[in-house]
Amino acid sequence: MSVVGHPARALPAQAARTAPPASIRAGRITRRTLEIGIVVFMLAMLYLPLLLLAAFSFNDSIILSLPFKGFTTRWYTEAFDDPRMRTGLTNSIWIATIITPICLVLGTLTAFALTRMRFLMRGGVAAVVGAALVVPWLVIGISALLFFNDDLPLVGQTDLSLWTVGIMHVVCTFPLVAAIVSARLARFDRTQEEAAIDLGASQAQMLRRVVLPHLTPALVASAIFAYMWSFNNFEISYFVGGPDYTFPVWAFSTLRHGQNLPIVNAISTVISLVQVLLVFIAWRIARPRPDRGDAGGFMPMGGVG
Amino acid sequence: MAVVAAAAPPRARGKRGILRRSLRPLAYLWCPTGLLILFFLVPMVIMLKISFHHESLYDFRTGWTFDNYREIITDPIYRRVALDTFWIASAAMIIQLAIGLPLAYVMAFRAGRFELPLLLALVLADELNPIVRIYAWRQLLGREGLINDALQWLHITNAPVDWLLFSKFAVIVVLSTSWLTYTVIPIYAAMKAIDGRLFESAVDLGAGWFTTFRRVLLPLAAPGIFVALILVYIPLFSEFATPALVGGRSGYMLGSLANSLILEQGDWGAGAALNFLLLAASALVALLAYYLSKLNTLET
Repeated sequence: MSVVGHPARALPAQAARTAPPASIRAGRITRRTLEIGIVVFMLAMLYLPLLLLAAFSFNDSIILSLPFKGFTTRWYTEAFDDPRMRTGLTNSIWIATIITPICLVLGTLTAFALTRMRFLMRGGVAAVVGAALVVPWLVIGISALLFFNDDLPLVGQTDLSLWTVGIMHVVCTFPLVAAIVSARLARFDRTQEEAAIDLGASQAQMLRRVVLPHLTPALVASAIFAYMWSFNNFEISYFVGGPDYTFPVWAFSTLRHGQNLPIVNAISTVISLVQVLLVFIAWRIARPRPDRGDAGGFMPMGGVG
Repeated sequence: MAVVAAAAPPRARGKRGILRRSLRPLAYLWCPTGLLILFFLVPMVIMLKISFHHESLYDFRTGWTFDNYREIITDPIYRRVALDTFWIASAAMIIQLAIGLPLAYVMAFRAGRFELPLLLALVLADELNPIVRIYAWRQLLGREGLINDALQWLHITNAPVDWLLFSKFAVIVVLSTSWLTYTVIPIYAAMKAIDGRLFESAVDLGAGWFTTFRRVLLPLAAPGIFVALILVYIPLFSEFATPALVGGRSGYMLGSLANSLILEQGDWGAGAALNFLLLAASALVALLAYYLSKLNTLET
């Protein structure tokens, strides 16, 4: 390749060879330092407290402070021997496991109807789905509490239990699935579907072989988000759980009363590790590529609004 | 042409076709919409109804009343909590924008092969349990926590610093870290859509970094900022777990107040009224952000 033949390319090459003035070089170094600084600061704010929590969960002391008093795993055995912790954790896992597939189905149906069909009240339905996503969980939780306790016509009062928690988790989680799947569907070229039908595919074959592969990353991301939203949901479980409690509610009341703190350290470490693993697996399956405008559903909030 | 003709439905089935087409959305939506109406909209209406009644453990008066709203709006204690909530939420939001804007910029344009790992780190942080996060901060910030240990070990202070925990400071720090994901990702997504050559043109035309930021980056990232405001600023006003666990007396917020009215004092009327005001305020902020984003698209 001759330089003369490509004047347009020669220009930047020459510019690169002439060293920039010292002031600019210095500016570049500080700029890089600033960029690294902000990233490190973010990572520290997000993860350092949790890493320290994990490290000190092995400390043979009731409080998290220096010096390290010696290595122990007794908080872990005590945590799993605590009957209330076990109840809360099992409840959380059950609810999340049951509501995730329900949310996937409801969310996908909603997404298909909202992106593919024109009908009266379409805007209204979209607004309500969006509102359920934006209205704070405290507000939803308290209004649901008042609703279940109100003496309604026909049904009367509803006793609060894990059932009411599960229903409310579905109501505030499936709109997230709808948002993620809609974003993905909106990017789908529908001529591919028509092509499949023209080539003789049945409606079911077309859905399975053309639409589903395209939706898979969004569905994987939706599943992991729905599971985590339900598992982590504190406010709604707290207000509509009545006598039943989930893991976050157990952790909250334990912390509020300031007892058994080291076992919260231990169990938090275990749960965080499992969550890291699950999110990482989902990430690998969905393979987001934001550089190609394809986040595979991992930027659910990027498209809202 | 033959294909098109074959794909078009035969005329004989026309009437049933129209019926089926109009029933199809119903077949998809009856369950999701039914759930939302029954467990999301109806509860809001019932909350509104209760807020206009005397409904508490010690008050059996019947009939409609404005007393709950009057109580909340005129009581100086409530006004104080509302003001504190406003300051805490705004401070947390400003801090998040101050971290989030440069961070989103670095991720979108400068991070290179670290872009995806950073995105994963942000997403992952949001999927970890919020109560666990609050608890971790509480351990760090306490009188006998690591930060106080470090400060004394470095001889910056001689006695433990008290205002680190059970204060507005603690609430702001924890809230800023809890919501950072939802601040950064919409802004990042908006910046991702910007053509990087615009910056070069701006520089070529003689703009300094501040002018480039104000005239190029900020207007184009604005839609993302508005989404971040809706997703983060609104929920910040009704935070409950964080102020309850690290706020103490001075970090008391409206969410804690709603909880205490409903579950501790049993004053459901006032609790419902406060909750409805929170809902109305969030709707107002959402509308405002939506309107601003529309305004912005018109300009650019």
